[in-house]
Amino acid sequence: MPTSPIVEMKDISISFPGVKALDRVNFRLFPGEVHALMGENGAGKSTLIKALTGVYTIDEGTVIVSGRSRRLGGTADAQAAGISTVYQEVNLCTNLSIGENVMLGYEVRGPFGINWAATHRRASQMLQKVGLGALNPRLPLSSLSIALQQLVAISRATVTDSKVLILDEPTSSLDANEVEDLFRVIRALRDEGVAILFVSHFLDQIYEISDRLTVLRNGVFQGEFMTTEIEQSELISTMVGKEVGALDSLERASARRDVDRGTPVYEARGISRKGSLEPTDATFHAGEVLGIAGLLGSGRTELARLVYGADKLESGTVRLRGAEANISSPSQALEARIAYASENRRDEGIIRDLSVRENLILAVQAERGWARPLPAQEKTALVEKYMTALNVRPADPDRPIRNLSGGNQQKVLLGRWLATQPEVLILDEPTRGIDVGAKTEIMEQVIALAEDGVAIVFISSELDEVVRLSDRIMVMKDRRKLAELVVDETVTSDSIITTIADESAPEQPGSTQTAGTGAGS
Amino acid sequence: MSTHSTHRPSALRELIRRPYFWGVIAIALLLLINSIKDPGYLAVSYNSASGNLVGNLIDILRAAAPIAMISVGMCLVIATAGIDLSVGSVMAVAGAVAMEFLASAGGSPTAALGALGLALLLGAALGAVNAVLVSVVGLQPFISTLVLMLAGRGLAKVITGGQNTAASNDTFRWLANGYVFGIPVVFLLAVAIVILVGLLVRRSALGLMIEAIGMDPRAARLAGVNRRGLLFAVYIASGTLAAVAGVFASASVMTVDVSNTGYQLEMDAILAVVIGGTSLAGGKFNITGAAIGALLIATLDKTVVFLGISSSATPAFKAIVIIALCLLQSERIRAMFRARRSRPSDISSDTPKEAVAA
Amino acid sequence: MRPNRRTVLGLSAAGLVATALAACSSGSASGGADDPVTIGFVAVGPEGAWRQANEQNIQDTFTEDAGFSLKFAPATNLDQKSQIDAFASFVDEGVDLILLSATEGSGWEESLNRAQEAEIPVLLIDRGIEPDDQDLYVTRLAPNNVAVSSSVAEWAISTFPDGANYFVLEGPAGVSVVNERNEGWNELMADQSDFTDLGSQSANWSTEEAKSVFETVLKSNNNDVQLVFAQNDEMGLGAAQAVEEAGLTPGEDVKIATIDGTEAALNALVDGTLSFVAEYNPLFGEQALEAVNAALEGETLDPYIEIESTTFDSPESAEEALPDRKY
Repeated sequence: MPTSPIVEMKDISISFPGVKALDRVNFRLFPGEVHALMGENGAGKSTLIKALTGVYTIDEGTVIVSGRSRRLGGTADAQAAGISTVYQEVNLCTNLSIGENVMLGYEVRGPFGINWAATHRRASQMLQKVGLGALNPRLPLSSLSIALQQLVAISRATVTDSKVLILDEPTSSLDANEVEDLFRVIRALRDEGVAILFVSHFLDQIYEISDRLTVLRNGVFQGEFMTTEIEQSELISTMVGKEVGALDSLERASARRDVDRGTPVYEARGISRKGSLEPTDATFHAGEVLGIAGLLGSGRTELARLVYGADKLESGTVRLRGAEANISSPSQALEARIAYASENRRDEGIIRDLSVRENLILAVQAERGWARPLPAQEKTALVEKYMTALNVRPADPDRPIRNLSGGNQQKVLLGRWLATQPEVLILDEPTRGIDVGAKTEIMEQVIALAEDGVAIVFISSELDEVVRLSDRIMVMKDRRKLAELVVDETVTSDSIITTIADESAPEQPGSTQTAGTGAGS
Repeated sequence: MSTHSTHRPSALRELIRRPYFWGVIAIALLLLINSIKDPGYLAVSYNSASGNLVGNLIDILRAAAPIAMISVGMCLVIATAGIDLSVGSVMAVAGAVAMEFLASAGGSPTAALGALGLALLLGAALGAVNAVLVSVVGLQPFISTLVLMLAGRGLAKVITGGQNTAASNDTFRWLANGYVFGIPVVFLLAVAIVILVGLLVRRSALGLMIEAIGMDPRAARLAGVNRRGLLFAVYIASGTLAAVAGVFASASVMTVDVSNTGYQLEMDAILAVVIGGTSLAGGKFNITGAAIGALLIATLDKTVVFLGISSSATPAFKAIVIIALCLLQSERIRAMFRARRSRPSDISSDTPKEAVAA
Repeated sequence: MRPNRRTVLGLSAAGLVATALAACSSGSASGGADDPVTIGFVAVGPEGAWRQANEQNIQDTFTEDAGFSLKFAPATNLDQKSQIDAFASFVDEGVDLILLSATEGSGWEESLNRAQEAEIPVLLIDRGIEPDDQDLYVTRLAPNNVAVSSSVAEWAISTFPDGANYFVLEGPAGVSVVNERNEGWNELMADQSDFTDLGSQSANWSTEEAKSVFETVLKSNNNDVQLVFAQNDEMGLGAAQAVEEAGLTPGEDVKIATIDGTEAALNALVDGTLSFVAEYNPLFGEQALEAVNAALEGETLDPYIEIESTTFDSPESAEEALPDRKY
């Protein structure tokens, strides 16, 4: 193991108006290691990465890359220093071909300009390294699943011959198989001597892949540890800085509640839509948390979108509180007191350029119609109520929501839906990509809402969460319902996995799944 | 106004941050240049015979009125990430129908009211056609409104039978040429409409909804925002306001010129909106800014004539002013300026980074 | 160098096809009444009363009864591109002859070359082309802009023996009509030391713009303007309104001279709001017919056929002409 770090950041400070995002933070990255950067949302992980990639200029401190002190004035400087980044949401050009994306800026040139045949051949070689050698580099990038796009992005980083590879939340939208493929690629790159900075909220993954980790909290350096030498509980407490009892206290919280099993708030019979959901029944009861367990592409999100009217039903009937109803648009759903928080927070949730306040009241206001604006007083009261209840930080409603961390954005969105006083609240991956603290807060809210009589639909790929929170669990696979389980001691994440695994799939799953398996083989 | 006053309290800094700040400066500069040529340029005198205010400034206000009308409509449309290229043609159509109506209905005030009503109705209907193409058919706004931009003049021609119809009606003429308390009616009307529209969008939730669909149509839809209804509202507003502008333009000379009324005014409107600080990408919009942009364009047009710039050099002169303005508004250029200024005077919180982070 | 190198090459290359087509078309032309002669008219379209009268007159002349099939293609929104497209499709269709009123003078070489290669004669109606390469077309029929605007200047010089301050309202910069009307005016006015040129501005042929421009001109000169030369009637009428708004009397304080001679202008001349109107005769369908027939017969024509125009310098002369005014 070489002993000198390839990247060394010393006493880094960065301030934004009103916020000290990083306060004298130290960070080291060695060649041939996977280094996890840990911390809650808002801890400063993204800021540190952006300082290293030249997106932000640092106020104080030094950055040393390959033994030379650098002033990184932009992403181009970072690239020149051999630093590549694969962001949480893949930053590629979806309308270009796979090969063009991989080779962009490094096309093979011939006497008559770019030699596309050679460029695509070279792209194929590079893709081979990440296990995608079988892909046709001439296909458009948009034909790939997010997981494969991620690997393409990594492949692109190898083209630029990077010595440092930053992976910011690469696994957040991948299923288990895809994560395995990704880790295989990461290990291969590490063994070649690439220094890898890895950010993820999945602790299991951190323990599986990383060699060393650095913990930040509220912009302050908490320590650097060898992964093998720190206990999971110790790590979590270093990150959140408070007792981790909250998650445990949620254990079997469902047992405490009484669910009204009378007329369901919402009842669907055989609702379907070609290509996204086979005819499916679903029943939501007031005061009940219905968990939906299933992998990506199992039909869980598709079901939610049909219920909410985001996609149009092609068959089936819907009854609301016993009466037949027709919901064909989100605004109709909101009118019927159904709310849906999309899994795609960035594109379908927040409106980046609006303030926290405006984001929070948007759904309520949309439901009232433009002609009946919320009175200023009511608006303030509403915003204050939910910002306090959900502990949104920073507590400044006039800040653009894009400046908030992911967890706080999610809280604002939760506030948006709560403000509409829903009777059915569908939460699609509400805890994805957010820190432990915010996760706990959101789950506590979910339980509190159910106790208030709201019918909650909780969709998550974290089966532990689903089991902990739900009264009933709907297991989905291949765009249909496999089973419906009333939660008792016998239901565990393992038993659900068994249910999914045991179900013999007569035909191949959907396109995303196929693509995913394709990457594995 | 001096330019080296950055150390003054935050009210001024607040003004500087306004997107239309440089538009105001540009207007002031143009007026200054005119005043250098003729020290009496800014003088507004009182015509004792007619009881009206007279002066170059009054002329500018009058010339700005129709541009302001279409700019306000354009501003709303652009905020939804759309564009309305048809406003110039709608002006011609509105002018044509008003003049044709007056030519047959005569000079009574009732006829003037009828002509006005007819023009506004037709403008709204044409706006609705745009809205249908954009929101129901799903065509791109550029294409949808281009259709009407080309077809509109044809329609105007059909209405007037290809002629440049003239009519006489004192009430109608008064709209564009009359005075109330010495101030041009057309300007008062324009100001009233700008304020009315401004209040309407900001006091109701219309503004927020329009921005939401302009910034992120998917997220807005999932939040229950009715995009189709809003698109209808903005395109109809744009069409109606273009009709108002068309009435102003044709009432000014009591003639509609089917090929020249409103010709290429859509470009002026887009320019005014951009000068006012509204991004063509949609989202945040600024109606006051658009009105100031309209005022700037009118000032520029008048300045060119007042300075006697030769007609072949006129386009170049206008282009230079507008390019300079756009450069000053560009975030990057401003950041460069700030960096240069803040280096010698050591501490200033306005570092370029803030621009990136904000 | 009449048939330039390219044309010769083009002819030999395109060879028999082209000559066959040409033979065919000239055959039908000489055939006369039995087989209608196809004429493509690349026109300006709605621009003003003058253009309306002119294009209507052409359409009324080349009727089916007269043995013609006239294809009328007005420009969309005065756009030259749409004219070039219309011209190209006429060439592709293989019409017998093309009449062209160009919205803009420049940029026609390629189109005219194509017509020449296809042996389709082109006659210019009113508007000329720039540069004026007379090899590219058969003849141009137009009233003489230079002469018409000179007649305005002559009137001005005789009306203001002691000189005057004058302002010129132009059409859009760069258009050949504007250049010619400036030329005729400036030729005579340049020698007049008693006259002061206050400048010129484009008001894009528009009444409304002319009014707006001239109100500012009056202000910037403290109303000390005695003479306006408006290059079309519409702008002259706009200037008259600006004069009235400024509290002056058109015809007395400010004399306005215009070109075109539309009905509206003659009415204004009767009222006294305009002081001089030089006709720019739009009605030359008959001359066009003669020229077209001659061109189809292959006769050589003068490159320029001047159309006679008159002038109106008094309310009486206008009144006399008004009953017959068709535009």
